[in-house]
Amino acid sequence: MRLLLLFALGAFVALILQIILPRLLPSGILAPDLVLILAVDLGMRHPGALTAVLAFGMGYAVDTFSGVELGLNALLLTLVFLFAYWLSRVLMSTSTAMGVIIVFTGVIFTDVANYLICSRFAAAERLHMIMPAILIQAAFTALLTPSVFRITAWGSRIVGLRQYNRNR
Amino acid sequence: MVLTTSLLLLFALHLLSTGVRPDSRANKPSLLLMEAFRPLLMVESQMADEGSDFLHSYFDLVGVRQENLRLKQRLAELENQQRRMAELEAENRHLADLLELRDALATSAVAANVIGDDATGLSRTLILSAGERQGVHRGMAVVSVDGVVGKLIAVSEDSSRVLLINDHNSALDAFDQRSRARGIIAGVIEDGLTMKYVDRSEDIKPGDAIVTSGMDGIFTRGLLVGTVSRVSQEGPGLFLNIEVKPAVNFRQLEQVMILTVPVPAPPVSNNG
Repeated sequence: MRLLLLFALGAFVALILQIILPRLLPSGILAPDLVLILAVDLGMRHPGALTAVLAFGMGYAVDTFSGVELGLNALLLTLVFLFAYWLSRVLMSTSTAMGVIIVFTGVIFTDVANYLICSRFAAAERLHMIMPAILIQAAFTALLTPSVFRITAWGSRIVGLRQYNRNR
Repeated sequence: MVLTTSLLLLFALHLLSTGVRPDSRANKPSLLLMEAFRPLLMVESQMADEGSDFLHSYFDLVGVRQENLRLKQRLAELENQQRRMAELEAENRHLADLLELRDALATSAVAANVIGDDATGLSRTLILSAGERQGVHRGMAVVSVDGVVGKLIAVSEDSSRVLLINDHNSALDAFDQRSRARGIIAGVIEDGLTMKYVDRSEDIKPGDAIVTSGMDGIFTRGLLVGTVSRVSQEGPGLFLNIEVKPAVNFRQLEQVMILTVPVPAPPVSNNG
């Protein structure tokens, strides 16, 4: 329960930042997807039924403040959670480096899916025009991943949760 | 865990495929979330304005020697004070402009502050500080002193979300003020607007003002949407390719006006 509350609070802060940050960034730069980093952290290091529900909830919260399709980000973040869980099990690694790679691919996946589904696949041929912005966002988000992982680990220690072995 | 995740995925797909109605139960938590975020967003948006000033000051000062830096910081402090005062003055002026606009439109309207952006940045929506309690409802038109902003897609007790006209899901009926040629204004994924379904025989030129037709029953007739920036006849289609530069700078939008009275559609005519 403490873990859920910790990540729910983290998602709340991350979402606030995602709503505020675009105004501070230059035009054409997408704000880093901090909520996705939390979903990857949950999938890699804290997999479980309740954390899956939390990942879905975080996506639903993003839907509240983005786009017109309620359920789209909920679907995509749950898929990212599942992908992080699956890949970390297959490669038997929950290292930060693995997290950075999953976050990078996760941002590209969610953005491209978001773009295609929102445009009902009608704008697929123009995808290349938005790809530079997506790649910059993915790189920016991946760069922030170690820091966010450190913050969640620190938060876990503060609320008295057992530390996950990062070197597995 | 796999079973739970599968069920969640199915539920998300169900939400997506059915398309949630504003009055449906699945939409209620979303509106409650909007309400929960509102107070923080109000505070954060003010802090963000100041943070933006700070960032710009920082970039300006990079590379300047220590002593120079100290003096410039002092100067920056004074300038910040001056900016804050100018900011208040500008806000006052803006609100006065909005009042004038409301009088000019001869309709009932509610002023609102922009308190947040789209959470993913891929869609173009803004969060506003007015909601049901202020008499605002879903589908209402949002305008600024510069022109058309968009329409409300979600409304909670004290906040709402507006879909900007430059979002690729947005469409509104408009016409060329000079030639009276009518078309549909839609957002472009990269940026800007496009005017669709204008016959190749129509006379549209760069620089022409595009205004709302009022036919959609949302926007008052004659509101400025933007100006034509490029017209071409590329491709095999029946219609012109028209690029329109929005009249509103959406990134710098701070205050808007929500038109709270539905606009009666004007009688249909062939010349727009």
